[in-house]
Amino acid sequence: MGHLLQYILNGLSKGSIYSLLALGLVVIYRGTGHLNFAQGEMALFATFGAWWINDHGVPLWISVVLAAIFAFAGGGIIEFGLIRPAGRRSPLAVLVVTIALFQALNSLSGLLFENAGTGLPFDSLFPNEPDDFWRISDDAVWRYQNIGVLLTVLVITGLVFALFQKTKLGLAMRMVANNAESAELSGVSTRRILMFSWALSAGIGAIGGALVAGINTNVNVASMFSVFLLAAAAATLGGLDSPIGAIVGGLSLGVVESLVQNYPKDWPASTYIGADTAIAVAFLIILIVLLVRPAGLFGSSRVERV
Amino acid sequence: MPTRPQAIREASPLHWAIRVVAAGSIAIVAIYLASSATPSTLGNVTEACTLAIAAVGLNLLYGFNGQISIGHSVFAGLAAFTAGYTVNAWEWNPYVSLGVALALCFLLGVVLGLPALRLKGPYLALVTLAVAFVWPTIAAKFLDQKVKASTLKGTRLKPLTWTGLSVKGKDARLDRAIFLYWTAIVILLLAYVIVRNLRKSRIGRALVAIRDNETAAAVMGVNLKLTKTITFGISAVIAGASGWITAARLATMDENTFTILTSIRYLLALFLGGAATLVGPVVGAFAYFFVDDYLKDHAPDWDWLPGPLSKGPVAPFLLGVLVIAFVFVAPFGLVGFVKDQVRKVVVIAPRPLRKAPSSADQEQHEQAGPDRAGLETGEGRT
Repeated sequence: MGHLLQYILNGLSKGSIYSLLALGLVVIYRGTGHLNFAQGEMALFATFGAWWINDHGVPLWISVVLAAIFAFAGGGIIEFGLIRPAGRRSPLAVLVVTIALFQALNSLSGLLFENAGTGLPFDSLFPNEPDDFWRISDDAVWRYQNIGVLLTVLVITGLVFALFQKTKLGLAMRMVANNAESAELSGVSTRRILMFSWALSAGIGAIGGALVAGINTNVNVASMFSVFLLAAAAATLGGLDSPIGAIVGGLSLGVVESLVQNYPKDWPASTYIGADTAIAVAFLIILIVLLVRPAGLFGSSRVERV
Repeated sequence: MPTRPQAIREASPLHWAIRVVAAGSIAIVAIYLASSATPSTLGNVTEACTLAIAAVGLNLLYGFNGQISIGHSVFAGLAAFTAGYTVNAWEWNPYVSLGVALALCFLLGVVLGLPALRLKGPYLALVTLAVAFVWPTIAAKFLDQKVKASTLKGTRLKPLTWTGLSVKGKDARLDRAIFLYWTAIVILLLAYVIVRNLRKSRIGRALVAIRDNETAAAVMGVNLKLTKTITFGISAVIAGASGWITAARLATMDENTFTILTSIRYLLALFLGGAATLVGPVVGAFAYFFVDDYLKDHAPDWDWLPGPLSKGPVAPFLLGVLVIAFVFVAPFGLVGFVKDQVRKVVVIAPRPLRKAPSSADQEQHEQAGPDRAGLETGEGRT
């Protein structure tokens, strides 16, 4: 059990990224009830954008922020130009648009950026030399990289929660999430709020994508597949309409993943549970949680009127 | 005022004539293809058929019952691997393996249908997505530990002797392609008939009732749990049949033969054709397959594409853009689009109820004119 603390620390950083993307999914789901299957690929595209800006001599941090701003704008445009008109046509249409967007953005990144298939080098956003760590105990070190990722995510989620709870915009967002019609009657422009939700989600996603690329020190067209799946799983676990659920879900999934990946090595059953089954175990846990609480840990189940 | 569309009464001689001509022309095209096409064209049609079968299965589940699944590739994969393994390792008859594979699919479908009883909409979508995501891992483990190879051999289905198609000799390749082609068409037809009969029966009405309002359906006496799980099972069996054909067609399969992308293809095919219509998934699968095929073949040669787009494999990008554009032109799929256009010219008036109408009803009918019955839907939309 010696490395338990180590595995938990590693898992927390990975999980914090899932939380970030899950938060993006929740922001959109609360507003419109749509699940954005293109969330991961939107983040991927923004990360390639950050790489491109950085490649032109802009410092990495500034390029990530610039990419997030562009992603913010892009998210709004996607909502305005594609999602909203599709939603007026049929409910399945939005699902299909996000799935098609997933495919289009993924292959567009491969086309626009040379060697994107094999991967482009991406510097870590934090000091990442072999001796950049903080020794906590005899068998646990906390790498600056992991601390940095966790802190960045905490700051961003703190800002998002402050936005929700302390600003008029956040109040309007909560109103729309709660009851769009009454919000409209009280003078809130639902359309602007939804557009802003998508923009915010895309902006958060862009930073999440850059953090993933920083941890992998590489960005390629397949980087976001499993990250998106785990983020979606985290959002499901926490409840798709609960921002706190997304954070808790993401962090716990990260820890579970890290434990499952590392522990079975010492077990006799390691032939059956390997590193690659970590995700399967994570999903099994979610399935069990959902069977007990179909709307997730923190989600609210709506009462339906017949 | 727009001109009133012509009404054709359901099951009238004219309606039957239209049906016979439509079915006949499809049959003629199918026979013509089998007699004249090259093995590679036949292979393409067979592959489109497998996509269509899976889409028909998914349509039963999503279109008519409202349960979404992004995990249908798993059923196809399970059936394909069962067939491939039993035929190669245990030397089973491929048709016996089909039966066993479908039984397994039904079981897995029912098992997956159980969480689906509790989960709705996006939650169900994500759980099924997760299953599709886990499948390649399981398949790789299976290949590694049971097959002890990186790929699993296909079943290499041979033509049955009574068909008169040669198994050996110079025509063997063409004859095998013809046999697979007919097998796929027969299974597609079976799947279509099963779904059609289910839809037109009491069960089908129960399915749609559940889709539209679960609570109301339960109040009307529909057994929610039984109906939903069995539907999941049947849908899984149909998707499994598509996987069995894939196993018969391919020389080898590996863990990447059935991925999330396969499931997404099923969904897109269903959407392109039109969910919740009977022919939609078939039309959509053929349209999706051949557009995809065309883009893969021709798009790399298009010099007029701007800058970076002409450099790499541009087909997936163009297909994504096309699908998005299509959503805006025809939100209810190709079949929905055609129906909307046709409805402006001609409508099929439903058969009158068997019960003799009361005198008050008759008066109303006479006032409205005999041709007007059943036109409400047509008028409501214009």
